Amino acid sequence: MRTPEIRLTAGAFAGAAAALWLTPAFPHAVCGSRIFPTTLAIDDPGVTDELTLPAVNWLPKNSDGVQELDIGGEWAKTIFPNFAISVGSGATWLHPGGFGWDSVETEAKYQFMCIPQLEFMASAGFSVEWGGSATGSQIGEPNMYSPVLDVGLGFGALPQSLNLMRPFAITGEISTTTPGQAVWGEEMFPTAFNWGFSLQYSLPYYNANVSEIGNEFLKHLIPTVEFAFSTPTAHAEEGTWGTTGAIQPGVVYMADKWQIAVEAMIPINGPSGHGAGVVASLDLFLDDIFPNTIGKPIFSQTLPMFTGAR
Amino acid sequence: MTRISMTTIAASLALICGATSAFAHAQLEKATPAVGGTVAGPSEIRLEFSEGVEPKFSKVSVAGPAGAVSLGAAKTEPSNQAVLIVPISKPLSAGVYKVHWQAVSVDTHHTQGTFEFTVKP
Repeated sequence: MRTPEIRLTAGAFAGAAAALWLTPAFPHAVCGSRIFPTTLAIDDPGVTDELTLPAVNWLPKNSDGVQELDIGGEWAKTIFPNFAISVGSGATWLHPGGFGWDSVETEAKYQFMCIPQLEFMASAGFSVEWGGSATGSQIGEPNMYSPVLDVGLGFGALPQSLNLMRPFAITGEISTTTPGQAVWGEEMFPTAFNWGFSLQYSLPYYNANVSEIGNEFLKHLIPTVEFAFSTPTAHAEEGTWGTTGAIQPGVVYMADKWQIAVEAMIPINGPSGHGAGVVASLDLFLDDIFPNTIGKPIFSQTLPMFTGAR
Repeated sequence: MTRISMTTIAASLALICGATSAFAHAQLEKATPAVGGTVAGPSEIRLEFSEGVEPKFSKVSVAGPAGAVSLGAAKTEPSNQAVLIVPISKPLSAGVYKVHWQAVSVDTHHTQGTFEFTVKP
């Protein structure tokens, strides 16, 4: 990042212009006119410098039939503009069951596609839950390995005759979770196929591209509903082969440098839990808050990315 | 993050909330003519962003019933770098016009968007 003094130096503009357009910054999940917010059940399709703190999850009865409260956080750091690593963990209180620290989770994520005119982007990642790092009530899991694919599509390319549809966007995620050991202690840990998607209606997009919204609060909201499911594919115990998951309607308030998301968590069946829970998070966009220091990629060179440009 | 202590969390939040010299990507907050609005005959396109923008690297184009509209050089308002102003060279005839903008914020983040407005007869 250049200082203003350097940027305004006469004669530097030509070189700066070339540099600006050839090495764009990629804040959050931005592709074309679309800004995909951070969602709670599935990941957004972008790569970013971001701190999620806290992420709170409360369930009146989880899949084991006990009350659960989780408070955690995650820090994502860009190494290249379109490649980041993240690390996260958190604390869990079970009633009954007691307290424990969750496994530390790390992920490497590579955004390999952004087609601006289609508002379409995709990224691939690989995450590991390090089982040995859990404590207390959360002890007892092996390492879990998950390749992940995330995609997002805004509807902004629709014709003007469908203007009211253009603020819609969908995101999707598929992954598999494979335990390092299928049998750990006296428990079996299944391999699972995980899949989910979100449907969003962006009022910031509506305000900037469709029709002006006068209300300062409303024009920052993104009503969202997420669907997240998991289906065991191997090593499941008898009676646990069914699909579990949740439907999560909620809303995101997106400011310039942060966002707050709040969603209800409604289990789809008994094995997924009982009663509606609540999940919420505060996300700080470090690339916008600290664009010159910790919010900046370590290396400025963008890794190969398909943009649809000839 | 491994084993975050409350002290670390508090210190981090204080550091973040205390930042005053940071910039973000520029989102379009308001436009004149208004996004989706109807006007008599604008003499300029005025785009109000959430953050300061670099006029040298930001682009605005307007297309109407007769094709591309001739525009003057983009500049920011002297007292507010978040307001980008683009003069319209000739009066616009009645019809629907499409504005396409690309903005580069002062920290080089790119944003873009497209909207329409109508010039009434």
